[in-house]
Amino acid sequence: MAHATEKSFKVSVPDSELELLRKKLDLVRFPDELDGSGWNYGAPLADVRRLVARWKDGYDWRTAEAKINELPQFTRDVDVDEFGTLNIHYVHVKSDAKDAIPLLFIHGWPGHFMEVSKMLPLLTSSSGDHPSFHVVACSLPNFGFSDAAKQTGFKIEKYAETLHKVMLALGYNEYAVQGGDWGYCVARSMAYAYGPKHVKAWHTNSPVSGPPTLYDSPLLYLKFMTTPFTAAETESFKRHQAKSYNTGGYMEIHRTKPQTIGYSLADSPVGLLAWIYEKLVAWTDKYPWDDDEVLTWVSIYWFSRAGPTASGRIYYEFLSRMAESTPPWSPVPLGLSYFPEEVAPYAPKLWMRTVGDVVFEAEHNAGGHFAAYEQPEALADDLRAMFSKPALAKLFK
Amino acid sequence: MAHEQQTFNISVPDSELELLRKKLDLARFPDELEESGWEYGAPLADVRRLVERWKDGFDWRAAETKLNKLPQFTRDIDVDRFGTLNIHYVHVKSEATDAIPLLFVHGWPGSFLEVSKILPLLTSTGEHPSFHVVALSLPGFGFSEGAQKTGFRIAQYAEVGHKLMLALGYNTYAVQGGDWGNIICRNLAHLYGPKHVKAWYTNLPIGRPPTFRDSPLLYLRSLLTPFSAQDVKGLERNRLWDFKYKGYMYIQQSKPQTVGYSQADSPVGLLAWIYEKLVSWTDSYPWEDDEVLTWVSLYWFSRAGPTAAARIYYEYFNFVAASTPPWTGIPLGISYFPKEILYTPRLWMRTVGNVVYESEHTVGGHFAAYEQPEALVGDLREMFGKPDLAKLFK
Repeated sequence: MAHATEKSFKVSVPDSELELLRKKLDLVRFPDELDGSGWNYGAPLADVRRLVARWKDGYDWRTAEAKINELPQFTRDVDVDEFGTLNIHYVHVKSDAKDAIPLLFIHGWPGHFMEVSKMLPLLTSSSGDHPSFHVVACSLPNFGFSDAAKQTGFKIEKYAETLHKVMLALGYNEYAVQGGDWGYCVARSMAYAYGPKHVKAWHTNSPVSGPPTLYDSPLLYLKFMTTPFTAAETESFKRHQAKSYNTGGYMEIHRTKPQTIGYSLADSPVGLLAWIYEKLVAWTDKYPWDDDEVLTWVSIYWFSRAGPTASGRIYYEFLSRMAESTPPWSPVPLGLSYFPEEVAPYAPKLWMRTVGDVVFEAEHNAGGHFAAYEQPEALADDLRAMFSKPALAKLFK
Repeated sequence: MAHEQQTFNISVPDSELELLRKKLDLARFPDELEESGWEYGAPLADVRRLVERWKDGFDWRAAETKLNKLPQFTRDIDVDRFGTLNIHYVHVKSEATDAIPLLFVHGWPGSFLEVSKILPLLTSTGEHPSFHVVALSLPGFGFSEGAQKTGFRIAQYAEVGHKLMLALGYNTYAVQGGDWGNIICRNLAHLYGPKHVKAWYTNLPIGRPPTFRDSPLLYLRSLLTPFSAQDVKGLERNRLWDFKYKGYMYIQQSKPQTVGYSQADSPVGLLAWIYEKLVSWTDSYPWEDDEVLTWVSLYWFSRAGPTAAARIYYEYFNFVAASTPPWTGIPLGISYFPKEILYTPRLWMRTVGNVVYESEHTVGGHFAAYEQPEALVGDLREMFGKPDLAKLFK
């Protein structure tokens, strides 16, 4: 059922929410900290105190809001099978180029639609000898300024369905998808379910896969068993192992009891701040976070339409049915970008060939998990290079 | 170096009560998925109701007065490399002249309060062993100070318990513990037995399967002995535990500071975090709201703050080998409560220590001393009624 109109949207947090936040920040109670604990036990107290002080006094949400609102934003109702109607928020910028490729950008956790903001002008630009893109960046259901699902079982396939319906409603019958973090899982699900008819190609900056298995990919398995890892691959495994040690706790609680941790995230701005800030630093490649930048990221969660708690449920819904929600190999062309400080488990290129038809690979020397935000030129270049390939470009003619 | 004992009464400052009230007034709740029950965590209706009661109706001063009926003390304990920690404890002597000194060690999210129901039974005189009971607040919990620097491991918790017993004049004593109390008592037995720690008992038996290298005879026995029906059921519960209930443990053992900001700042968050355990880890214990709120308040108003308590997970799980003693000959008593969160087959417990007493119950869960005080005390009386154990304390 098509819903008639799209509405234009501007982020406009009610004064009452700003007031509540201020009151809560005035009552903050901090823990102590062990001498010499650094980042090992979690986000350091000095950082969190400083950020809270700024949030209370100095940080201006209305200014941040106005900046966000420079991006053209919209909402529209989407009917999701078995979940009723969800109102979905998205950024949508069309390129001037008439043969621009529609591209859906999908964020993850603790990301959000604004992760696309630095790439937007690059991707939509029509000057220069490179592909151009019409860009759509949704707030996933349960995130940002989209509705939350109200019932249990909103699995990855449902996120995929919702976003696919947004693209169709925008008139993009054929499109490409780019995602990292949960964006990877959703993109993969979309490629499988809606490609190659609608999803013509997809790209990820956080390639994740297990090794080939005898049952699923006998030839790749054979290659896996007989080919030693290269020095670079070994290095990547080691580096990832070191980087990811002791970082998965948040995932374990989100995947098992998202409601329990959710009471803290909904009620405590400093709790939410620490929860997210720790990842913003640990998962990036020495990105020079500005305090206000951090606070804007956290505020998007604090002021989110569904509340911060809803965003953790994606972990529960996926990880409780991981096998079922992980599609088999898909013939839809797939592009990969590897960033050295990615925190998701490292998957060598051979392993990624169990996921899809890998037609593009790029490796970078800098950048981490939030690649679109940390390395916008690099990622935009990758997408331009990928979609310059004649085989891909012609899919959209 | 002798430190003096001070008597202690819990007396939370008015300013803390005021801050709590203000925070509760500003509580912001999440939504909840329809018909999600307990699957995703503590249900919203429960948490709302408890918060309402906490704001209006629950009387902390009344709870405090009741807690203060337990004779409480503090004293400084010197901990090697960690300086002096002021330790809070309950101490009640039995009138029986041959009473056995017993150290009761709580865990997370427990407290010294867990001893309150077994206390009168243990100290009473009669045709059964009697006990002098000491129940400390572990460092970082309740009204004990917490360590100020990293590396305060299980051996340090044990050191505090041991030095406390010595300071109280108990040169020989027994120890009892569940949850963290299990591994702390195991360390106490290994480090300070048989000279001081004469026996230990746990209601959360934890042990690894025998390996050929470490326990060849037990290993062979394990190959030849099929799992009992109870074993099968218990090991299945372990799998369920691993899959659905361990999340809190993973975050606390890896980033206790990160989750700790929430625990320190949000009474609602802390309440949900603890309440979920109080219900899912017990055997249909009929929690009263005020009872729950007292337990949670002990964390909210704790001396070191709620964040300090969870650091024990970090200090243990990142250094498991260092915190796991080898087999010890100190007499060990184990008991099995059906709704305990973790299960270890009895054969495996023989890799841990010298099992001299075993018991099994048909009701009860993780907080056995609180849920099934008579049953637990029955175990201890039976265990220490055995002539060879009783004589260790003469």
